[in-house]
Amino acid sequence: MHPTLAVLAYASVAMAAAGLAAIPVAFRRRLPASWLGWANGVAAGLMLGGAYLLMAAGLGPAPARAAVGAAAGIGFLYWVHRAAGMQELDLNRLGETAPDYGYQLLLVNMLHTAPEGIAIGVAMVLAPALGLLMASAIAVHNVAEVAVLATVLHSRGLGLGGAVAAAGATRVSQVLLAVTTFAVLSAAPALVGWVLGVAVGALVYLVMAELLPHCYRQAGPTSVALVAILAMGIVVLASGVR
Amino acid sequence: MPDAALVFWYALLTAAATGLGALPFALVRTVSPAGVAWANAVASGLMLGASFGLVAEGTRHGAGETVVGATAGVLFILATQRLLATCQLRWAAAGRGGARRVLLMMVVMTVHSFSEGVAVGVAFGGSVSLAAAIAIAIAVHNVPEGLAISAVLYPRGVGVAGCAAWSVVSSLPQPLMAVPAFLFVEAVAPALPYGIGFAAGAMVFMVLVELLPEAYDQARRAGVALAVCLTLVGMVVFQQYLGR
Repeated sequence: MHPTLAVLAYASVAMAAAGLAAIPVAFRRRLPASWLGWANGVAAGLMLGGAYLLMAAGLGPAPARAAVGAAAGIGFLYWVHRAAGMQELDLNRLGETAPDYGYQLLLVNMLHTAPEGIAIGVAMVLAPALGLLMASAIAVHNVAEVAVLATVLHSRGLGLGGAVAAAGATRVSQVLLAVTTFAVLSAAPALVGWVLGVAVGALVYLVMAELLPHCYRQAGPTSVALVAILAMGIVVLASGVR
Repeated sequence: MPDAALVFWYALLTAAATGLGALPFALVRTVSPAGVAWANAVASGLMLGASFGLVAEGTRHGAGETVVGATAGVLFILATQRLLATCQLRWAAAGRGGARRVLLMMVVMTVHSFSEGVAVGVAFGGSVSLAAAIAIAIAVHNVPEGLAISAVLYPRGVGVAGCAAWSVVSSLPQPLMAVPAFLFVEAVAPALPYGIGFAAGAMVFMVLVELLPEAYDQARRAGVALAVCLTLVGMVVFQQYLGR
Protein backbone atom coordinates (compact mmCIF):
# COMPACT_ATOMS: atom_id res chain seq x y z
CA MET A 1 0.00 0.00 0.00
CA HIS A 2 1.22 3.53 -0.75
CA PRO A 3 2.37 5.12 2.51
CA THR A 4 -0.06 8.07 2.21
CA LEU A 5 -2.94 5.64 1.74
CA ALA A 6 -1.71 3.71 4.79
CA VAL A 7 -1.89 6.94 6.85
CA LEU A 8 -5.40 7.58 5.52
CA ALA A 9 -6.39 4.00 6.40
CA TYR A 10 -4.92 4.09 9.92
CA ALA A 11 -6.44 7.48 10.75
CA SER A 12 -9.82 6.46 9.30
CA VAL A 13 -9.86 3.24 11.33
CA ALA A 14 -8.96 5.29 14.44
CA MET A 15 -11.90 7.59 13.67
CA ALA A 16 -14.27 4.68 12.97
CA ALA A 17 -13.26 3.05 16.27
CA ALA A 18 -15.05 5.94 17.94
CA GLY A 19 -18.31 4.20 16.94
CA LEU A 20 -17.63 1.67 19.72
CA ALA A 21 -18.50 4.48 22.10
CA ALA A 22 -22.17 3.79 21.29
CA ILE A 23 -22.02 0.61 23.43
CA PRO A 24 -21.57 2.19 26.88
CA VAL A 25 -23.84 5.12 26.00
CA ALA A 26 -26.61 2.75 24.84
CA PHE A 27 -26.05 0.59 27.92
CA ARG A 28 -26.71 3.48 30.28
CA ARG A 29 -28.45 6.53 28.91
CA ARG A 30 -26.83 8.72 31.50
CA LEU A 31 -23.31 7.55 32.35
CA PRO A 32 -22.33 8.26 35.98
CA ALA A 33 -19.92 11.21 36.38
CA SER A 34 -17.20 8.87 37.65
CA TRP A 35 -17.33 6.87 34.36
CA LEU A 36 -16.86 10.09 32.42
CA GLY A 37 -13.91 10.93 34.66
CA TRP A 38 -12.26 7.54 34.09
CA ALA A 39 -12.86 7.75 30.31
CA ASN A 40 -11.21 11.17 30.26
CA GLY A 41 -8.41 9.78 32.45
CA VAL A 42 -7.75 6.93 29.98
CA ALA A 43 -7.74 9.44 27.10
CA ALA A 44 -5.32 11.69 29.04
CA GLY A 45 -2.96 8.77 29.76
CA LEU A 46 -2.95 7.65 26.12
CA MET A 47 -2.24 11.20 24.91
CA LEU A 48 0.64 11.61 27.38
CA GLY A 49 1.91 8.19 26.23
CA GLY A 50 1.66 9.37 22.61
CA ALA A 51 3.61 12.54 23.42
CA TYR A 52 6.27 10.37 25.10
CA LEU A 53 6.52 8.12 22.01
CA LEU A 54 7.12 11.10 19.72
CA MET A 55 9.71 12.61 22.07
CA ALA A 56 11.56 9.32 22.54
CA ALA A 57 11.59 8.57 18.80
CA GLY A 58 12.32 11.90 17.17
CA LEU A 59 13.57 14.53 19.59
CA GLY A 60 17.25 13.54 19.46
CA PRO A 61 18.50 15.24 16.28
CA ALA A 62 16.93 18.69 16.77
CA PRO A 63 15.76 19.42 20.31
CA ALA A 64 15.84 23.21 19.83
CA ARG A 65 13.49 23.07 16.82
CA ALA A 66 11.15 20.76 18.74
CA ALA A 67 11.19 23.17 21.68
CA VAL A 68 10.23 26.11 19.45
CA GLY A 69 7.53 23.97 17.79
CA ALA A 70 6.19 22.87 21.18
CA ALA A 71 6.06 26.44 22.46
CA ALA A 72 4.17 27.40 19.27
CA GLY A 73 1.69 24.53 19.71
CA ILE A 74 1.11 25.34 23.38
CA GLY A 75 0.88 29.08 22.73
CA PHE A 76 -1.53 28.63 19.81
CA LEU A 77 -3.98 26.51 21.83
CA TYR A 78 -3.75 28.84 24.83
CA TRP A 79 -4.49 31.81 22.57
CA VAL A 80 -7.38 30.10 20.70
CA HIS A 81 -9.05 28.98 23.96
CA ARG A 82 -8.64 32.48 25.35
CA ALA A 83 -9.84 34.27 22.19
CA ALA A 84 -12.91 32.01 21.99
CA GLY A 85 -13.63 32.53 25.71
CA MET A 86 -13.41 28.78 26.35
CA GLN A 87 -10.53 28.61 28.84
CA GLU A 88 -12.78 27.83 31.79
CA LEU A 89 -15.59 26.13 29.80
CA ASP A 90 -16.92 22.96 31.47
CA LEU A 91 -16.88 20.39 28.65
CA ASN A 92 -18.87 17.71 30.47
CA ARG A 93 -22.05 19.51 31.55
CA LEU A 94 -24.92 17.01 31.44
CA GLY A 95 -28.43 18.23 30.58
CA GLU A 96 -27.28 21.70 29.43
CA THR A 97 -29.63 22.66 26.57
CA ALA A 98 -28.33 26.12 25.57
CA PRO A 99 -27.70 26.06 21.79
CA ASP A 100 -24.37 27.90 22.12
CA TYR A 101 -23.04 25.20 24.41
CA GLY A 102 -23.52 22.50 21.76
CA TYR A 103 -21.61 24.51 19.15
CA GLN A 104 -18.84 25.34 21.62
CA LEU A 105 -18.46 21.65 22.47
CA LEU A 106 -18.17 20.60 18.84
CA LEU A 107 -15.71 23.43 18.13
CA VAL A 108 -13.52 22.56 21.11
CA ASN A 109 -13.52 18.91 20.10
CA MET A 110 -12.65 19.62 16.45
CA LEU A 111 -9.75 21.71 17.72
CA HIS A 112 -8.77 19.00 20.21
CA THR A 113 -8.50 16.28 17.55
CA ALA A 114 -6.31 18.34 15.17
CA PRO A 115 -3.00 17.84 17.05
CA GLU A 116 -3.82 14.14 17.39
CA GLY A 117 -3.94 13.93 13.59
CA ILE A 118 -0.60 15.75 13.40
CA ALA A 119 0.81 13.22 15.91
CA ILE A 120 -0.27 10.27 13.71
CA GLY A 121 1.25 11.95 10.62
CA VAL A 122 4.60 12.70 12.32
CA ALA A 123 4.79 9.21 13.83
CA MET A 124 4.24 7.64 10.37
CA VAL A 125 7.07 9.76 8.94
CA LEU A 126 9.42 8.67 11.74
CA ALA A 127 8.61 4.96 11.30
CA PRO A 128 5.55 3.08 9.98
CA ALA A 129 5.45 0.85 13.07
CA LEU A 130 5.45 3.92 15.31
CA GLY A 131 2.63 5.37 13.20
CA LEU A 132 0.59 2.21 13.67
CA LEU A 133 1.16 2.30 17.43
CA MET A 134 0.22 5.99 17.59
CA ALA A 135 -2.93 5.41 15.52
CA SER A 136 -3.90 2.50 17.82
CA ALA A 137 -3.43 4.64 20.93
CA ILE A 138 -5.47 7.46 19.37
CA ALA A 139 -8.18 4.95 18.32
CA VAL A 140 -8.66 3.70 21.90
CA HIS A 141 -8.55 7.29 23.17
CA ASN A 142 -11.25 8.18 20.59
CA VAL A 143 -13.59 5.57 22.07
CA ALA A 144 -13.20 7.10 25.53
CA GLU A 145 -13.53 10.71 24.40
CA VAL A 146 -16.42 10.12 22.01
CA ALA A 147 -18.27 8.20 24.75
CA VAL A 148 -17.98 11.29 26.97
CA LEU A 149 -19.01 13.76 24.24
CA ALA A 150 -21.87 11.51 23.01
CA THR A 151 -23.15 11.22 26.59
CA VAL A 152 -23.24 15.01 26.92
CA LEU A 153 -24.96 15.41 23.51
CA HIS A 154 -27.38 12.57 24.31
CA SER A 155 -28.31 14.29 27.58
CA ARG A 156 -29.20 17.39 25.53
CA GLY A 157 -31.92 15.34 23.80
CA LEU A 158 -30.04 14.17 20.71
CA GLY A 159 -30.82 10.53 19.77
CA LEU A 160 -28.17 7.87 20.49
CA GLY A 161 -27.16 7.44 16.83
CA GLY A 162 -27.07 11.18 16.19
CA ALA A 163 -25.07 11.85 19.36
CA VAL A 164 -22.41 9.24 18.57
CA ALA A 165 -22.28 10.33 14.90
CA ALA A 166 -21.89 14.01 15.78
CA ALA A 167 -19.27 13.20 18.43
CA GLY A 168 -17.44 10.86 16.03
CA ALA A 169 -17.54 13.47 13.25
CA THR A 170 -15.36 15.81 15.34
CA ARG A 171 -12.54 13.29 14.63
CA VAL A 172 -12.56 14.24 10.95
CA SER A 173 -9.84 16.83 11.62
CA GLN A 174 -7.69 13.93 12.89
CA VAL A 175 -7.88 12.17 9.52
CA LEU A 176 -7.37 15.34 7.48
CA LEU A 177 -4.37 16.51 9.51
CA ALA A 178 -2.80 13.03 9.68
CA VAL A 179 -2.76 12.77 5.87
CA THR A 180 -1.74 16.42 5.31
CA THR A 181 1.06 16.25 7.90
CA PHE A 182 2.41 13.03 6.42
CA ALA A 183 2.31 14.39 2.86
CA VAL A 184 3.98 17.69 3.78
CA LEU A 185 6.68 16.09 5.94
CA SER A 186 7.43 13.45 3.28
CA ALA A 187 8.00 16.29 0.81
CA ALA A 188 9.91 18.48 3.29
CA PRO A 189 11.71 16.26 5.85
CA ALA A 190 13.52 19.30 7.27
CA LEU A 191 10.25 20.30 8.95
CA VAL A 192 9.94 17.07 11.01
CA GLY A 193 11.62 18.51 14.13
CA TRP A 194 9.38 21.58 14.24
CA VAL A 195 6.13 19.72 13.58
CA LEU A 196 7.00 16.99 16.10
CA GLY A 197 7.37 19.75 18.68
CA VAL A 198 4.00 21.25 17.77
CA ALA A 199 2.31 17.84 18.20
CA VAL A 200 3.99 17.09 21.54
CA GLY A 201 3.30 20.54 23.00
CA ALA A 202 -0.32 20.57 21.85
CA LEU A 203 -1.04 17.01 23.10
CA VAL A 204 0.33 17.76 26.57
CA TYR A 205 -1.45 21.13 26.73
CA LEU A 206 -4.83 19.55 25.85
CA VAL A 207 -4.34 16.94 28.58
CA MET A 208 -3.49 19.61 31.17
CA ALA A 209 -6.06 22.23 30.13
CA GLU A 210 -9.05 20.14 29.03
CA LEU A 211 -8.96 16.54 30.26
CA LEU A 212 -7.36 16.34 33.70
CA PRO A 213 -9.17 19.24 35.44
CA HIS A 214 -12.52 17.66 34.53
CA CYS A 215 -11.70 14.11 35.49
CA TYR A 216 -10.33 15.05 38.90
CA ARG A 217 -13.67 16.68 39.66
CA GLN A 218 -15.70 13.77 38.27
CA ALA A 219 -13.91 10.74 39.68
CA GLY A 220 -11.40 11.94 42.32
CA PRO A 221 -7.61 12.19 41.98
CA THR A 222 -6.60 8.67 43.05
CA SER A 223 -8.70 6.65 40.58
CA VAL A 224 -8.03 9.10 37.74
CA ALA A 225 -4.27 9.01 38.40
CA LEU A 226 -4.41 5.19 38.40
CA VAL A 227 -6.28 4.82 35.08
CA ALA A 228 -4.15 7.53 33.42
CA ILE A 229 -0.85 5.97 34.50
CA LEU A 230 -2.12 2.51 33.50
CA ALA A 231 -2.90 3.82 29.99
CA MET A 232 0.57 5.40 29.82
CA GLY A 233 2.17 2.15 30.97
CA ILE A 234 0.41 0.18 28.24
CA VAL A 235 1.72 2.59 25.59
CA VAL A 236 5.29 2.30 26.96
CA LEU A 237 4.99 -1.50 27.06
CA ALA A 238 3.65 -1.61 23.48
CA SER A 239 6.55 0.58 22.31
CA GLY A 240 8.94 -2.02 23.75
CA VAL A 241 7.20 -4.91 21.94
CA ARG A 242 7.35 -2.97 18.70
CA MET B 1 31.77 6.43 36.90
CA PRO B 2 30.01 8.23 39.75
CA ASP B 3 30.83 7.14 43.28
CA ALA B 4 28.62 6.93 46.33
CA ALA B 5 29.96 10.24 47.70
CA LEU B 6 28.87 12.11 44.53
CA VAL B 7 25.40 10.55 44.77
CA PHE B 8 25.22 11.62 48.41
CA TRP B 9 26.18 15.24 47.63
CA TYR B 10 23.67 15.53 44.78
CA ALA B 11 20.89 14.16 46.95
CA LEU B 12 21.95 16.40 49.84
CA LEU B 13 21.71 19.43 47.53
CA THR B 14 18.15 18.44 46.53
CA ALA B 15 17.33 18.19 50.25
CA ALA B 16 18.89 21.60 50.91
CA ALA B 17 16.66 23.10 48.21
CA THR B 18 13.69 22.36 50.49
CA GLY B 19 15.01 25.10 52.79
CA LEU B 20 14.48 27.67 50.00
CA GLY B 21 10.75 27.23 50.60
CA ALA B 22 11.11 29.23 53.81
CA LEU B 23 12.63 32.28 52.05
CA PRO B 24 9.35 33.96 50.95
CA PHE B 25 8.46 34.32 54.64
CA ALA B 26 11.50 36.57 55.08
CA LEU B 27 9.68 39.08 52.84
CA VAL B 28 5.95 38.48 53.32
CA ARG B 29 3.79 37.19 56.16
CA THR B 30 1.65 34.86 54.02
CA VAL B 31 1.93 33.24 50.60
CA SER B 32 -1.21 33.20 48.44
CA PRO B 33 -2.73 29.82 47.48
CA ALA B 34 -2.27 30.77 43.81
CA GLY B 35 1.47 31.17 44.46
CA VAL B 36 1.64 27.65 45.87
CA ALA B 37 -0.40 26.38 42.88
CA TRP B 38 2.05 27.92 40.43
CA ALA B 39 4.99 26.42 42.29
CA ASN B 40 3.28 23.01 42.16
CA ALA B 41 2.56 23.42 38.43
CA VAL B 42 6.21 24.20 37.68
CA ALA B 43 7.32 21.22 39.80
CA SER B 44 4.80 18.99 37.96
CA GLY B 45 6.19 19.96 34.56
CA LEU B 46 9.79 19.38 35.65
CA MET B 47 8.97 16.00 37.24
CA LEU B 48 6.98 14.79 34.21
CA GLY B 49 9.79 15.91 31.89
CA ALA B 50 12.38 14.18 34.07
CA SER B 51 10.24 11.01 34.16
CA PHE B 52 10.07 10.95 30.35
CA GLY B 53 13.87 10.92 30.38
CA LEU B 54 13.88 8.11 32.95
CA VAL B 55 11.40 5.98 30.97
CA ALA B 56 13.39 6.46 27.75
CA GLU B 57 16.53 5.28 29.60
CA GLY B 58 14.69 2.39 31.28
CA THR B 59 13.11 1.07 28.06
CA ARG B 60 16.61 0.87 26.50
CA HIS B 61 17.31 -1.83 29.09
CA GLY B 62 13.83 -3.40 28.85
CA ALA B 63 10.31 -1.96 28.50
CA GLY B 64 8.67 -4.80 30.46
CA GLU B 65 11.08 -4.43 33.39
CA THR B 66 10.57 -0.65 33.42
CA VAL B 67 6.79 -1.01 33.53
CA VAL B 68 7.03 -3.61 36.34
CA GLY B 69 9.23 -1.19 38.28
CA ALA B 70 6.81 1.67 37.60
CA THR B 71 3.95 -0.45 38.95
CA ALA B 72 5.92 -0.95 42.17
CA GLY B 73 6.53 2.82 42.33
CA VAL B 74 2.81 3.55 41.98
CA LEU B 75 1.95 0.96 44.64
CA PHE B 76 4.58 2.47 46.98
CA ILE B 77 3.03 5.93 46.72
CA LEU B 78 -0.48 4.47 47.16
CA ALA B 79 0.60 2.54 50.26
CA THR B 80 2.27 5.67 51.67
CA GLN B 81 -0.92 7.65 51.16
CA ARG B 82 -3.00 4.99 52.87
CA LEU B 83 -0.62 4.78 55.80
CA LEU B 84 -0.60 8.55 56.28
CA ALA B 85 -4.39 8.75 56.00
CA THR B 86 -4.71 6.16 58.78
CA CYS B 87 -2.25 8.05 61.00
CA GLN B 88 -4.12 11.27 60.33
CA LEU B 89 -7.34 9.69 61.57
CA ARG B 90 -5.65 8.45 64.75
CA TRP B 91 -4.10 11.82 65.52
CA ALA B 92 -7.33 13.60 64.79
CA ALA B 93 -8.88 11.50 67.54
CA ALA B 94 -6.05 11.90 70.03
CA GLY B 95 -3.82 14.96 69.59
CA ARG B 96 -4.16 18.69 70.09
CA GLY B 97 -4.78 21.16 67.19
CA GLY B 98 -1.64 23.10 66.22
CA ALA B 99 1.04 20.68 67.36
CA ARG B 100 -0.75 17.82 65.63
CA ARG B 101 -0.84 19.68 62.35
CA VAL B 102 2.87 20.48 62.52
CA LEU B 103 3.75 16.89 63.35
CA LEU B 104 1.50 15.54 60.61
CA MET B 105 3.03 17.87 58.04
CA MET B 106 6.54 16.79 59.01
CA VAL B 107 5.67 13.08 58.85
CA VAL B 108 3.90 13.42 55.49
CA MET B 109 6.77 15.33 53.90
CA THR B 110 9.44 13.05 55.38
CA VAL B 111 7.75 9.85 54.18
CA HIS B 112 7.33 11.51 50.77
CA SER B 113 11.04 11.97 50.47
CA PHE B 114 11.93 8.28 50.44
CA SER B 115 10.90 7.60 46.84
CA GLU B 116 12.53 10.86 45.71
CA GLY B 117 15.84 9.71 47.19
CA VAL B 118 15.51 6.37 45.37
CA ALA B 119 14.89 8.30 42.12
CA VAL B 120 18.14 10.27 42.43
CA GLY B 121 20.08 7.10 43.31
CA VAL B 122 18.86 4.92 40.44
CA ALA B 123 19.25 7.77 37.93
CA PHE B 124 22.98 7.68 38.70
CA GLY B 125 22.89 4.03 37.61
CA GLY B 126 21.82 5.33 34.16
CA SER B 127 24.17 8.28 33.66
CA VAL B 128 25.41 11.40 35.45
CA SER B 129 23.50 13.68 33.02
CA LEU B 130 20.25 11.81 33.65
CA ALA B 131 20.90 12.03 37.40
CA ALA B 132 21.59 15.77 37.17
CA ALA B 133 18.24 16.31 35.41
CA ILE B 134 16.37 14.22 37.99
CA ALA B 135 18.15 16.00 40.86
CA ILE B 136 17.15 19.41 39.44
CA ALA B 137 13.51 18.32 39.02
CA ILE B 138 13.35 16.98 42.56
CA ALA B 139 15.15 20.01 43.98
CA VAL B 140 12.58 22.34 42.39
CA HIS B 141 9.77 20.05 43.56
CA ASN B 142 11.19 20.34 47.10
CA VAL B 143 10.80 24.14 47.18
CA PRO B 144 6.96 24.14 47.39
CA GLU B 145 7.23 21.30 49.94
CA GLY B 146 9.42 23.55 52.06
CA LEU B 147 6.94 26.35 51.47
CA ALA B 148 4.10 24.14 52.72
CA ILE B 149 6.00 23.22 55.89
CA SER B 150 7.00 26.83 56.52
CA ALA B 151 3.41 27.98 55.95
CA VAL B 152 2.40 25.80 58.92
CA LEU B 153 5.40 26.59 61.16
CA TYR B 154 5.83 30.33 60.56
CA PRO B 155 2.43 31.45 61.92
CA ARG B 156 3.23 29.41 65.06
CA GLY B 157 6.21 31.56 65.89
CA VAL B 158 9.07 29.59 64.29
CA GLY B 159 11.57 31.96 62.65
CA VAL B 160 12.58 31.85 58.97
CA ALA B 161 15.83 30.00 59.81
CA GLY B 162 13.90 27.46 61.88
CA CYS B 163 11.38 26.94 59.06
CA ALA B 164 14.24 26.38 56.61
CA ALA B 165 15.92 23.92 58.98
CA TRP B 166 12.77 21.87 59.55
CA SER B 167 12.10 21.86 55.79
CA VAL B 168 15.56 20.45 55.12
CA VAL B 169 15.08 17.83 57.86
CA SER B 170 11.90 16.62 56.09
CA SER B 171 14.00 15.91 52.96
CA LEU B 172 16.91 14.16 54.70
CA PRO B 173 15.64 10.71 53.64
CA GLN B 174 16.70 11.76 50.13
CA PRO B 175 20.49 11.51 50.61
CA LEU B 176 19.99 8.57 52.97
CA MET B 177 17.96 6.59 50.37
CA ALA B 178 19.87 7.71 47.27
CA VAL B 179 23.16 6.03 48.24
CA PRO B 180 21.78 2.51 48.92
CA ALA B 181 19.56 2.73 45.81
CA PHE B 182 22.60 3.67 43.70
CA LEU B 183 24.79 0.93 45.22
CA PHE B 184 22.04 -1.62 44.64
CA VAL B 185 21.57 -0.91 40.91
CA GLU B 186 25.38 -0.77 40.51
CA ALA B 187 25.88 -4.15 42.17
CA VAL B 188 22.89 -5.87 40.54
CA ALA B 189 22.95 -4.55 36.97
CA PRO B 190 19.71 -6.29 35.85
CA ALA B 191 17.89 -4.33 38.58
CA LEU B 192 18.53 -1.01 36.80
CA PRO B 193 15.39 -0.87 34.56
CA TYR B 194 13.25 -1.93 37.55
CA GLY B 195 14.77 0.83 39.68
CA ILE B 196 14.40 3.43 36.94
CA GLY B 197 10.80 2.32 36.38
CA PHE B 198 10.14 2.59 40.13
CA ALA B 199 11.42 6.16 40.21
CA ALA B 200 9.48 7.20 37.09
CA GLY B 201 6.25 5.53 38.21
CA ALA B 202 6.46 7.11 41.66
CA MET B 203 7.18 10.59 40.26
CA VAL B 204 4.46 10.53 37.55
CA PHE B 205 1.92 9.15 40.00
CA MET B 206 2.81 11.77 42.61
CA VAL B 207 2.30 14.49 39.99
CA LEU B 208 -1.04 13.03 38.87
CA VAL B 209 -2.44 12.26 42.30
CA GLU B 210 -1.19 15.19 44.39
CA LEU B 211 0.51 18.09 42.66
CA LEU B 212 -1.86 18.64 39.72
CA PRO B 213 -5.17 18.30 41.64
CA GLU B 214 -3.83 20.79 44.24
CA ALA B 215 -2.71 23.19 41.52
CA TYR B 216 -6.10 23.06 39.73
CA ASP B 217 -7.85 23.69 43.05
CA GLN B 218 -5.99 26.93 43.73
CA ALA B 219 -5.43 28.53 40.31
CA ARG B 220 -7.03 28.90 36.88
CA ARG B 221 -6.62 25.78 34.81
CA ALA B 222 -5.30 27.48 31.64
CA GLY B 223 -2.48 29.10 33.61
CA VAL B 224 -1.63 25.83 35.37
CA ALA B 225 -1.63 24.00 32.02
CA LEU B 226 0.64 26.64 30.48
CA ALA B 227 3.13 26.43 33.37
CA VAL B 228 3.16 22.60 33.37
CA CYS B 229 3.62 22.33 29.59
CA LEU B 230 6.34 24.94 29.18
CA THR B 231 8.41 23.56 32.07
CA LEU B 232 7.90 19.98 30.82
CA VAL B 233 9.16 20.85 27.34
CA GLY B 234 12.01 22.89 28.80
CA MET B 235 13.07 19.97 31.00
CA VAL B 236 12.96 17.44 28.15
CA VAL B 237 15.04 19.65 25.86
CA PHE B 238 17.45 20.48 28.70
CA GLN B 239 18.01 16.75 29.23
CA GLN B 240 18.73 16.28 25.53
CA TYR B 241 21.53 18.88 25.68
CA LEU B 242 22.81 17.56 28.99
CA GLY B 243 23.11 14.06 27.52
CA ARG B 244 25.26 15.17 24.56
